[in-house]
Amino acid sequence: MAETLPDSVMMHSDALLERARQGDKNAQGKLVQLWYKRIYNFAYKFFFDHDMAMEVAQKTFISMHRNLTGLQEVARFKSWLYTIAVNYCREELRKRKASRSVSLNEFPTADGEVSFKWEASNGRADNPERQLRQTELSDLLQQCLMELSVEQREVVIMKEYEGLKFREIADALQISENTVKSRMYYGLDGLKKILIKRNITKEALGYEL
Amino acid sequence: MNYKPDEGTLMAYLYGELDAPEAEKVQHYLQQHPEALHHVQQLRNVRTALESLTDVEVIAPPVFVDHESKSIPFWKAGYFKVTLGIAASLLFLLVAARLIGPEVTYSNGELRISFRQTPVNTVSEQTLTASEVQEMINHSLVKNNETIASSWEASNQEIQESLRQNLSNNSARIDKLIAVASQASQDQVRTFVAGMQEENLKLMKDYFQLSSKDQQMYVENLLVDFTKYLHEQRKQDLMLFQTRMNSIEKNTDQFKQETEQILASIISNPEGTIKKVNNY
Repeated sequence: MAETLPDSVMMHSDALLERARQGDKNAQGKLVQLWYKRIYNFAYKFFFDHDMAMEVAQKTFISMHRNLTGLQEVARFKSWLYTIAVNYCREELRKRKASRSVSLNEFPTADGEVSFKWEASNGRADNPERQLRQTELSDLLQQCLMELSVEQREVVIMKEYEGLKFREIADALQISENTVKSRMYYGLDGLKKILIKRNITKEALGYEL
Repeated sequence: MNYKPDEGTLMAYLYGELDAPEAEKVQHYLQQHPEALHHVQQLRNVRTALESLTDVEVIAPPVFVDHESKSIPFWKAGYFKVTLGIAASLLFLLVAARLIGPEVTYSNGELRISFRQTPVNTVSEQTLTASEVQEMINHSLVKNNETIASSWEASNQEIQESLRQNLSNNSARIDKLIAVASQASQDQVRTFVAGMQEENLKLMKDYFQLSSKDQQMYVENLLVDFTKYLHEQRKQDLMLFQTRMNSIEKNTDQFKQETEQILASIISNPEGTIKKVNNY
């Protein structure tokens, strides 16, 4: 299970949300600090592109600032925020398809070449070797994710990495809960086939598992 | 037992979102169906593999918090502004009153307003008689008439003087103009007459030329016509002569024939003929 916001913060965030909704700029700033990493990572996993993830995260929080006062139920904040993020992700995807531009990240790095992702590496890694292996594994799994359809990918990321409940995902994507579960099922099934195809077995992941 | 969990139920089971009785049912089903259990296990393995994809560390951009307080200071409040406005107006009026010093009195149906002075009784209490008023009017009329007369006389003089001056000025100008005009007219007449003479001469010349030409043409035409006439006449005469000649010829032939006949008859009957001749 991916790292999510601590429960204490989430509990505390109800009062925070209420203040932010009433126009308290300090509370709104605090919300950005709390949610920025989540929204960025959601967009990053969706695009596998740092710049586009930054773009989506910024747009999402600008939109949040503008429209938060209009949010009727504080309890729906999480779904509401992911709805904004998903919409911006889809918009960016349409733009990318229209411009037919290719991100440098989509090219595989040559053997021995220093990874261009060193800036975005996981700080929890103990040593450079482990860090490199982790980065390679992450990239490998990210590439597998990118092979899924957009609909399956957004559901898998929301469920697996953002920890949303099926009901919350359905709310965010404005589809039925059954559709969400179905997409999740076929997403996981698809990933299973992709992992087998790429020969990523339990043994290959053994050092991490 | 025909129970078979669908994909949605399996997902809910996999992520622990099923209530206890439902989860128990699925678990029971999986225990009885090893292939389904294997499939769920595979999906669980995929989930485990996905855990290797970790979050990217990112620092949230600085947020510029607007520290401006929502509460409006009392000096910006509307009611305070209105009150301050009224107070300022009153103060202004008081200061103005102090500086100007107005006094308002009302007595015997008269309202008097004065500034920095006590009101003076401007309305005279004594009334004037009709004769006095008439006298005043007359006096003012006389005065007025005198003034008008004097001013009229002065203006009259001025007008006359200016008229005289204008007349003299104008006559001088007219004389000058006439002199210039006469000078100009003499020259013009001379030029005109010369022009006329020249024009007449030209006209006459043209006329004679034109008339001589016409006469020549007329005479020529006349001669041509006369020639034509003579020619025609001659032709007709010739025709007449021809006709007469023809008739003479005809008569001659006839006479000749008659003569021949007579001769023939004489030859054929000489005696009778002699007798007859003798009888004659």
